[in-house]
Amino acid sequence: MSGVVSPRGSAVPAPAVAPAARVPRFLAAAALAAAAGFAVPLVVSSQLALTLMTQAVIYAILAISIGFLIRQNGLTSFGHAAFFGMAAYLLALNGKFGAISAELVVLAAVALPAVLAFLVGLVIVRLPALSFSMLTLAGAQSLHELMLRWRELANGDDGMPVRLPSTLFGVDIDVFQSPSSMFVVCWVALVGVVALLTLLAGSHFGVLTVAIRENEERARYVGYRTVVPRALVFALSGAIGGLAGVLFALYNGFVTPGALHWSLSGEGLIMAVIGGTHTIWGPALGAVIFFIVKNAAGDLTEHWPAIIGTTLIVVTVLVPQGISGLVARFTARAAAGKP
Amino acid sequence: MTAFALEGVGLVRRYGGFTALDDVSLRLEPGEIRGLIGPNGAGKSTLMDTLCGRGGSTGGRVVLKGRDISGLSAEARRRAGLARSFQKTNIFPALTVKEQVALAARAAETDNTDEVLDALGLSHLARHRAADIAYGDQRRLDLALALVGRPSVLLLDEPAAGLSIKESIVLARLLKDLAGSWNVTVLLVEHDMEVIFTVSDRITVLNLGKVLAEGTREEIRANPEVVRAYLGSSVS
Repeated sequence: MSGVVSPRGSAVPAPAVAPAARVPRFLAAAALAAAAGFAVPLVVSSQLALTLMTQAVIYAILAISIGFLIRQNGLTSFGHAAFFGMAAYLLALNGKFGAISAELVVLAAVALPAVLAFLVGLVIVRLPALSFSMLTLAGAQSLHELMLRWRELANGDDGMPVRLPSTLFGVDIDVFQSPSSMFVVCWVALVGVVALLTLLAGSHFGVLTVAIRENEERARYVGYRTVVPRALVFALSGAIGGLAGVLFALYNGFVTPGALHWSLSGEGLIMAVIGGTHTIWGPALGAVIFFIVKNAAGDLTEHWPAIIGTTLIVVTVLVPQGISGLVARFTARAAAGKP
Repeated sequence: MTAFALEGVGLVRRYGGFTALDDVSLRLEPGEIRGLIGPNGAGKSTLMDTLCGRGGSTGGRVVLKGRDISGLSAEARRRAGLARSFQKTNIFPALTVKEQVALAARAAETDNTDEVLDALGLSHLARHRAADIAYGDQRRLDLALALVGRPSVLLLDEPAAGLSIKESIVLARLLKDLAGSWNVTVLLVEHDMEVIFTVSDRITVLNLGKVLAEGTREEIRANPEVVRAYLGSSVS
């Protein structure tokens, strides 16, 4: 099983390494990658740089959630900020009302988007791709308007603080709010998400959902129900979007309706497209590129979104597989011994 | 009494005011290869769709080995042992040949992936993406997806479409061999009369949504109504 769907046009056969043999190697590589994150604060002393890197990693997780949905379901969400913002607001609202413990609300902030996405997904994954995209946009904007207009609940455009106890899961809360330690937390979460999704993509479920994406009718005629797997992918994608929202709320300690706005969904989607969705990690690469271009261009001009837009156009036209697709192609050629 | 492998009883399919299938009945004996022929618009593909649960039915019953499966979805009919291939190549382009046959085998709760790949001459392409293999190989892959798990009945909608005469004959012989050795009952729609008359035990002729004739190859060849409506002078 190839695990990773090869870029179109590649005539290179998938590697003949048995999945069982690959898993321990893969987990070791993931553990190494996670450990590498601990070294970053030792090397980077600038708090500003660490803050930017932490934000980039949080948005990378959001972008991965969007990319995974595209990769496995072939569906584009224009409203993934709904899951991100919903999770962030859950933490903030629980801080305000003190309904449940902070640990429980963190778990709920990941689980609720998943459950909601699954239930909604059972209906909307059956629809044409454009209808799906429009409905996700409408759903997210509805939530945005709710938080914006219901001032008594969420303080409208002024936003609300995320009040947290002094410890969370036994860890001092400062760990989640200092850039040097929060970078490590977010990095480990990112590596964990990539590892989980990569294993899932190589599993029966991953192959089945790609098959359904490719040819839903044929999948039914070989004997599979097709709606539930697609809804499960949407649910998992929603949970990861929620995880990004949790990390965002913990780190920033403040949330505004902007966390639910379509522009955030759009940025996540741009990151996914620039990075490429043929690999699990592509959108994370896209997020890094997005942040680098945004900050470099932001120093030069206030019209930096135009440079992001140009980057998107260039990538879409010249590298439709995204930057990760390009990297994967070069890696495959190098492995095959071709120049 | 031995149950038929597949029965369609009084099948009706209407699209608005147009009746595509008008009280069509057919019975397939276990292990039989039944050719289904007729002019364009006769209702052949509609009959295949109705039997396998595609797009619903306006009336009639579908019975598989004595079990009424009329109320089952397409995927449930496949799990019950009724498989089909399509007029247009219907595979999973991004998956490797083996990945998709293994996926189909898992749905059928069997593990005869390698057997099917071998039988259809696809073993050497197992690790290639389906999008990258030749058209003739894709047609055989389509057939492999239908054959995996050794279904009791296989509906084949123009499996030789787009193939050369030589490839069509090879496919026809392969089909006959597999149906015989794996005891699969086949309902075969095909415009290539060479293929139909090579492999079919019996032939049903549809015309304007009704059964025009049914019989052995010799009976169909000699039927003046069939010759007038469909065969013309193309088959001697």
